[in-house]
Amino acid sequence: MADIGKKISGFYHEVKGHWKTPAEGKYVPYREYKDIFLAVGFNYSGNKTLEYIVFAASCYLMMYHYKLPYLTFSVINIINMPLNYIWTMMTWYIADNLGFMKKKTERKFYVVYMLLIVIGLALILTDPSRLFSPGSRFVTYMNSLEGINCSSAFKILGTHILWNGWFGARNIFWRKKLVPKYGRYKYGLYCNAIPKSIAVIAIGWLPFYNIPDVITRVWVANLMFAIYNLFPFDNSLEMCAQNISPNVRERIWVRTIPIKLSHFLNSIVAIVMPVFIGMLRYEWADINLFKYIIPGFFVFCVVVTMLFAGRIKERIPQPPLEKKVNISFWDGMFGVMRNKYKWVNTVVGLIDSLGNGMLPFATILYLYTFRLSGLIYSLLVALVSFAGTPPDFFAPYFLRRFSYKQLMIFYQLSRAIGNGIIVIALLFLGDRVNLCGTVCVITLIFMEMTKTIPVTAGHDMDIRINDYQMYLSGERLENFSGVFGWFTGPITSFVGLIIPLMLLRYGFNSNWDVLFVDSSRIKIIVIPIIIDIIGYVLMTIPYIFWDYDDEKQAKVMEVLKAREAATGGSLDGSEGAEYNPEDELLPDAPETAESEVTV
Amino acid sequence: MSKKKAKTDNTVYENLKLDIPAGEEWTYQIEGMKAPVIGKPVENAAKKKVIVVAVLLVAIALSIFFSVRAVHSETYSFEELESGWQFSKFSNPGDITELTVDYADGDISRPIASIREYAFNCDDKLTSITIGKTVKEIDGKSFYSVWNLRNIYVDDENENYCDVDGVLYTKDMTEVICYPIDHDAYLREKAGYKEELWKDSEGYDEKYIEAVQTYKIPETVVKIGELAFNYANLVTVYLPEGLETIETLAFFKSWDLANVITYGAGGEYKSLPDTLKYIGSDAFAYDQGLSYMFIPKSVEYIGHHAFWDTVYKENGELRGVSVMNVERSEDDFSANAESGDHWLPSYDWKLLKKTIDVNYSSVREK
Repeated sequence: MADIGKKISGFYHEVKGHWKTPAEGKYVPYREYKDIFLAVGFNYSGNKTLEYIVFAASCYLMMYHYKLPYLTFSVINIINMPLNYIWTMMTWYIADNLGFMKKKTERKFYVVYMLLIVIGLALILTDPSRLFSPGSRFVTYMNSLEGINCSSAFKILGTHILWNGWFGARNIFWRKKLVPKYGRYKYGLYCNAIPKSIAVIAIGWLPFYNIPDVITRVWVANLMFAIYNLFPFDNSLEMCAQNISPNVRERIWVRTIPIKLSHFLNSIVAIVMPVFIGMLRYEWADINLFKYIIPGFFVFCVVVTMLFAGRIKERIPQPPLEKKVNISFWDGMFGVMRNKYKWVNTVVGLIDSLGNGMLPFATILYLYTFRLSGLIYSLLVALVSFAGTPPDFFAPYFLRRFSYKQLMIFYQLSRAIGNGIIVIALLFLGDRVNLCGTVCVITLIFMEMTKTIPVTAGHDMDIRINDYQMYLSGERLENFSGVFGWFTGPITSFVGLIIPLMLLRYGFNSNWDVLFVDSSRIKIIVIPIIIDIIGYVLMTIPYIFWDYDDEKQAKVMEVLKAREAATGGSLDGSEGAEYNPEDELLPDAPETAESEVTV
Repeated sequence: MSKKKAKTDNTVYENLKLDIPAGEEWTYQIEGMKAPVIGKPVENAAKKKVIVVAVLLVAIALSIFFSVRAVHSETYSFEELESGWQFSKFSNPGDITELTVDYADGDISRPIASIREYAFNCDDKLTSITIGKTVKEIDGKSFYSVWNLRNIYVDDENENYCDVDGVLYTKDMTEVICYPIDHDAYLREKAGYKEELWKDSEGYDEKYIEAVQTYKIPETVVKIGELAFNYANLVTVYLPEGLETIETLAFFKSWDLANVITYGAGGEYKSLPDTLKYIGSDAFAYDQGLSYMFIPKSVEYIGHHAFWDTVYKENGELRGVSVMNVERSEDDFSANAESGDHWLPSYDWKLLKKTIDVNYSSVREK
């Protein structure tokens, strides 16, 4: 007892003593832990709240109110796909240079983006389909696609072009203005919080779902969501907090304690919100969910996030902004391709795409098998998600005890086994709702518990891959990594459409009530899960090639620190000499490195 | 790796120092890892660029190709099965309102023998479907969510199916397969009403209900098929004495269904027929217009959620099926009738759900 008392007292004095200044060898004062708990927690909760509003078949607003055909979402993706490759390359270049480019290059980007805005508006406001003969093959083909016709396809394309022009110009403008002050991860919160809140409120109140014609409804909803998506409120503070220290042990500690605890806040939101939803006449399908409940929760989350986000810093050993390495397009492309560990992740992601298009199994189980709502629903969801929390506190131990390779292989196999049990339960106990549900929920809890530590390891692996990339290329090249998705695109697009088409065959379209049909529901759930199980087993193979251990990571961090010291930088890269946007980049670039870099 | 060794190693890594010569911070290569390439020209850059661009172009082209192939669907899809040609999927280009299912692509050498489940799923343009003479098998789910379907007609020469004024039956009239979702629109027009009337509309009366929202299932019918009356805009349905089976989701979300009346030689009585043996899962789910429900002693099986959400609270009062009347005694019901989970409806009660009371050994209301 006395020992425990001593420990508590010691802990209290440790926290008090290092409330504002970190302990020796550490970088994060305890006050920042408190900020992480609140700001990351509500940033995460806000972000989770927004999962209820997406332009996808998984959104009740889309399916119950807008009644959009299931396949239309894929059709729209295809219309946008070719041009998307171009915009993506431009965004990579801007983002991995943190928005700082030579003035001439910047001007060119602005001209292109303004032009896109004009073209996009023209396509939306006019009807270019009139230029084609109504009986032509092109028009006939476009008219045959689900939920659109030739005229609306041009409006959808226009929306895409307009969005990319607007988003691109905004991207440069705000990065240049805010990255020096807030860092590369959390700057977005400061320019998006208010417009996003307005967009969330507007989306429930705009009565476009009353438009009688489905084709008009589709393109109007697409335009509405394009504007809504202009202002991302992503989980950027958590990303920032994951890079909070160059000390790898401190990183894991921060991830294990304040970040994990912060997720409790989301658990509370996840319990409270369904209780409110349960009070609505039509529950999940009630429009008041989108008018009052979601906006209310979201705005509250935004306010708390912004109140406590200020002191959370990223602390990546890096040169100051005015001396940062300038990445040309090809440097970025070749740079990421030299990173072996990104290839490992790419292959894993490729295999994981086998499950693309799958419906959220657990939600279907709760809503359509159990018919849960209100408090019971919330409690069950919370119970399952909470099951993953206790193991997380042991993450530092497991990460020391086992290699990342071992953890990730265990993770994939445990998912395969868990899903296997669920399949067996659904097939053999399908009619006995209570028993089947109980087996499934216990399995979900088991899967949640075994998932936590590998997920923590996975996050740390991603951060380490970026540290290694910084060692290789002088920048993290997080955006250029997207090129791997291009290589795997043909396979993922082919494989990823297998499940949606299969679901369509089993009756899953715009009317989710098909999930009440037992025989169809089982097919809709079970067959994609079986495909997923095969994926999990295959996913163990790439991890055999993972050999980036603690020693390598420690050495990489040493090199990064040496570079930082050589350029007089600070840990967040933003507190060096005052950055003057009028200056050309790299005035004092290291002789052996950036001086040869060209844009 | 042992626990002890792991801890030792970590201590070593935390104190690890590299001897990086001044000025070589950007080129220093860690032993066993690749050398950094920062600002150095890439070897064979032009060749590598061409290869990357070529690979990417092929990848992008293939991505688009596969995606386009995947979403484009033919207006009519057919599959050849052992039993003959199957009409498997209809994808409305937007202007087809009437359709005849007889031959694959109009080729008389390929007669349609069956219609697959969900073949017309979620179509909102079709108003009339005609089944050709060759069709032998129709899945009850074929017409699921065909929102504006008013009538299903069957060729008189068809030996397996027939229609009665646009409602689909088996030829021997023992099973009702599908009452089209928008059949009331057809009945409305037939009765001379110009527009749909709602409960609070002027002119909404018994006459309107009888002409438009009432359906009498023929006396020969012993089975109501799966999803047969789902989403039907009915207020009153007459079930024949002799009916034995009400299949899964038969009256699912027939929101306004208020009166279930059995008719037979001995006259009419409230609720389910005394000949009924089987009530499928979700058979009456969400039918909040119902108020009186009587389970006769003939019933041997009740599927899960059979009466789900048929009760609700309004101004603190229970509405809908607030009590379930069962003719059997409690012991008899437990011993001789099988029931699925949650077959009884439940209502919101202090943030939780509470199942309604069951009135066993009940006597049917007059």
